[in-house]
Amino acid sequence: MLNSRVFKTISVQLTALQSLIFALCFFALLVITYLTTTAALRTQMQTEIRGHLTAMMEEAKTDGAEAIIQDIKESLTQTSVNQGYYFFSDATGKKLAGNLDNIAPVDGWRENGVGTIAASQGSVNDDDDRQIWAEGVHLPDGSYLLVGQDAYRLLSVQEAIINAFAWSGGVSLVLAALAGIVLSRGFLRRIDDINQTSLAIMDGRLKERIPIRGTSDEIDRLSANLNQLFDNNQSLLESLKQVSANIAHDLRTPLSRLRQRLEEARTKANSKKSYEAAIDDAIVESDQLLSTFAALLRIAQIESGSRKTGFRTFNLTDVFSRVADAYRAVAEDQDKKLEVNLDDDVSFFGDSDLLLQMSVNLVENALRHTPSGTTISLQLEHTPAGPVATISDDGPGIPADQIDKVFEHFYRLDTSRATPGNGLGLAMVSAVAKLHDIVVALENNNPGLKVVLKFPKP
Amino acid sequence: MAQGVDKVRSNVADQASVTSKENSAVWPQKQGSMKLLIIEDDERMADFVLRGLKEHGHVVDHADNGKDGLFLAAGEKYDALIIDRMLPGLDGLSILKMLRSTNNFTPAIFLTTMDGIDDRVEGLEAGADDYLVKPFAFAELLARLGALMRRPPVSDVKTEIRVGELEINLLKRIVTRAGKVIELQPQEFKLLEYLMRSDGRVVTRTMLLENVWDFHFDPQTSVVETHISRLRAKIDKGYKTEMLKTMRGVGYSLRAE
Repeated sequence: MLNSRVFKTISVQLTALQSLIFALCFFALLVITYLTTTAALRTQMQTEIRGHLTAMMEEAKTDGAEAIIQDIKESLTQTSVNQGYYFFSDATGKKLAGNLDNIAPVDGWRENGVGTIAASQGSVNDDDDRQIWAEGVHLPDGSYLLVGQDAYRLLSVQEAIINAFAWSGGVSLVLAALAGIVLSRGFLRRIDDINQTSLAIMDGRLKERIPIRGTSDEIDRLSANLNQLFDNNQSLLESLKQVSANIAHDLRTPLSRLRQRLEEARTKANSKKSYEAAIDDAIVESDQLLSTFAALLRIAQIESGSRKTGFRTFNLTDVFSRVADAYRAVAEDQDKKLEVNLDDDVSFFGDSDLLLQMSVNLVENALRHTPSGTTISLQLEHTPAGPVATISDDGPGIPADQIDKVFEHFYRLDTSRATPGNGLGLAMVSAVAKLHDIVVALENNNPGLKVVLKFPKP
Repeated sequence: MAQGVDKVRSNVADQASVTSKENSAVWPQKQGSMKLLIIEDDERMADFVLRGLKEHGHVVDHADNGKDGLFLAAGEKYDALIIDRMLPGLDGLSILKMLRSTNNFTPAIFLTTMDGIDDRVEGLEAGADDYLVKPFAFAELLARLGALMRRPPVSDVKTEIRVGELEINLLKRIVTRAGKVIELQPQEFKLLEYLMRSDGRVVTRTMLLENVWDFHFDPQTSVVETHISRLRAKIDKGYKTEMLKTMRGVGYSLRAE
């Protein structure tokens, strides 16, 4: 279950680092507690021994050495764990009383050389023998008195501190490590989900998505963003697929037609005139191909946003009236009517050439897809929310389920592609609109189609 | 002469170019021989243009890189320059800027590729008189060169133009043929004015779109054809000679006979 990957995860590494810092703090705490407690206990022992010593000396002042001997004997008859240790000698060094022997008569506090207590005595679980801590003093008559205590109290406290720290530290470390492993396995599982999904998508299963827990934590947000990326990726790939298929169709058809005609001319043409006709046809065909290419390149260029550098403020009314002027006669020739209603001096910040082409494409689109007798209306008005242009017709309109698709590259309602045009006109409209933040809405004109262009506020 | 410069002289060379220079100040000038320089590094393209122009009686020099091109353009007198935008050594834009900065105002046509659609503005700003997107029809280049030649000096503002029986008064905006007034819509008037200024030269559909409608793209419907046929109905219908002629696969021209 615990594979080596767990130990390579960030959360395990973080947990390890955290545990290390925790252990260091713990150790520092231990050292401080140990030292202060030891110091306090030592002071306490020193005070106690000094008190005992002083009391005995006070007694000796009034009652002489006998009092001390009596005191020591009394003390030694009491059996308690906290039994004292004594040594009393006269000025010549001869022991008069006490339970210690062969003590060098040295004044002051001593932690060594007084005597040892076997490890078996007392309840300290220590293998080492314990020292007796004592203080010695010479009395005015030259005799020597030493009072000591078993260092057991101090040692047992020290041992308790170390034990407590060792246990709690050990348990904490184990808990921290477990927590780290559990956390990292959860983390790892979610990372695994992301990895699996990425691999699946790389493998071509574009519909796979990373599961979202709904906790909106970092990983959830990352997953949501990645899912968004996959969505975009999928739609881009799908449109690319569609575009490639359409390019293949739109370019292969005229190319094969071109080839066929040239071949036909090569085998059948017998006069200069028929050769010329074949060549003229070929030129028309290749011009159509070139214009499709040019339109594709232009759309790509518009979509890249590089035209933004040439933006400036221009008169939108002029642009629309130029379109109206150019197409009024064209509409009349097709027995259609172009109604124009433009507010004066509508200005806009953008690329006037592109806006011109956009409106031309929309008007051409309306002309191309409506029967004779249709009225096409071109409107431009000031509104508080910015300029609004409307290109509407009372022709057959677009089926509701196809409205969204008409702005795709090469999309044509007429799937047989029998009508002229390269199918890129509305794709170009969409690209220009996107570049200028113009909102394009297709609406039902009851009957007919209404294209509404909502320009951003200048 | 630097390597790569390949001087080509047609048989009518010097005499013709002198004639063209004398005539260029006089408006309008009939079809004549021009002395041209093409700066183009693509061999096939250069060869195609070179042969075509020579067949039409023009004298053409060719440079296949920017430095030689600038050297020739600055040193010799040409009627027009045809400059490719992308060149090894020195690009077309720089050549033109340098020439213009030395007060050399030889008319220049820029050749750009399809994917450099913004080049038009840059080229015109650098001082080009016209631009042409590759690949182009040879007739288009020829028509545009012709248009450059008949471009009048700025001071020469004509108010009346006459071609055969047809007369146009630009101030009063009146058109007459053989003295009879013809009513024209504003678009038709602009179209006719441009055709008359072209003085019998062929103008292409693209040139009309650019100059009459200011459309720098190719609309999918027949804006030009519609207006041409309307104009033709007004100026030619009922008259013996058809002045507005369609040159199949090339364009249109307005001629007295």
